[in-house]
Amino acid sequence: MIDLQEFISYLSDHDFTLSSGVPCSYFKDLLINLEKDPDIYYVPATREDEAVGIASGYFLGDGKKSFLIMQNSGLANIGDALTSLAQLYKIPILLFVSYRGLEPDNDFPEHSIMGEVTESVLEAYKVPYWNLEESNWIKTLDLAINKMDKTSLPVCLLVEKGVLSE
Amino acid sequence: MKGAEVISKLNNVLSGEELIVSSNGNVSRQAFHLLPQPQLYLRGSMGLPVPVGLGLAIALPGKDIIVLTGDGNFLMGLSSMATVAFLKPLNLKIIILDNELYSTTGGQETVSSNMGYLELVLGMGVQNINSIDSIEKEDVIEKILSDTIKDPGLQVLHIKVEEDTINLENIPWHPVEIKERFLKQLDI
Ligand SMILES: Cc1ncc(C[n+]2csc(CCOP(=O)(O)OP(=O)(O)O)c2C)c(N)n1
Ligand SMILES: [Mg+2]
Repeated sequence: MIDLQEFISYLSDHDFTLSSGVPCSYFKDLLINLEKDPDIYYVPATREDEAVGIASGYFLGDGKKSFLIMQNSGLANIGDALTSLAQLYKIPILLFVSYRGLEPDNDFPEHSIMGEVTESVLEAYKVPYWNLEESNWIKTLDLAINKMDKTSLPVCLLVEKGVLSE
Repeated sequence: MKGAEVISKLNNVLSGEELIVSSNGNVSRQAFHLLPQPQLYLRGSMGLPVPVGLGLAIALPGKDIIVLTGDGNFLMGLSSMATVAFLKPLNLKIIILDNELYSTTGGQETVSSNMGYLELVLGMGVQNINSIDSIEKEDVIEKILSDTIKDPGLQVLHIKVEEDTINLENIPWHPVEIKERFLKQLDI
């Protein structure tokens, strides 16, 4: 697992001051840390598209940056929020999406189909994505945030089990 | 009164310092043509005017944010009203223009006519919710709009309006231009 204090410090050092989303158990430990972090305000959303709306409004208030947390099932909820808001108005958002439906999820058939199509969905929506891994997470986040800032568009990190929570 | 007439009345009571988010379709077009420019005109993202307003309200606590939303938009994003009620941003004012229709797409019925907005929003935890009929309150609507945007704290106003009959022209700005003009005028 990534050191969560280092992870959160990295994000606040990169000017992320707001976070929102809907939890996935893959983010359980991250969210425990995030909710008590004084520098990043976490808004519990009721839906993932709502979170994209909040992040978009937040950016339109003087260019403020936020990151979102969601399950890949939530990725299936944000199609219109991405294509007709965040991407259309060119709003940078960092998305952390849990990659459910892979090998360790054999007992969770509810994730199996979304797991199979997650990367195709991201490609279809033209959202650049990277796998977040413990060994080189800083390098990956540098790349993703750089892309996000340069294009002023949403980018995505796929997060497998054990990376941001035990 | 028609939705556009209520928006014109709102124009009379604005201080000019407010930032306005409008929901997609006719409401954004009316906001574009009837209110000071630029504002944040949503062209798509049906259901998201309330969360966009919430994000703005969190980012800019010193500014009053007004959300102008159609009933179809409000209902699609209904759960975000609960998020707003939970956070109670002091600078957010939500005005629901309820024509009981998806008017932009040809006037199909929404499920609004069956609903008690007052009880609903109150039940979500918002104390300052007012629900009025624009025909009954025509004489005092400007005062009610003025109170909604000037009274302190989170405010929600639900207004029954008549269907608009005049279709205003589409917004000529590309969404990126809307964003750029909106950000530029902030001048913080
Ligand atoms: C997700 C989605 N579904 C459907 C539409 C088509 N659409 C555009 S405006 C609109 C009606 C919005 O209704 P309301 O918010 O009540 O505004 P009104 O048209 O009545 O002014 C619809 C259904 C859309 N833009 N996005
Ligand atoms: Mg309507």
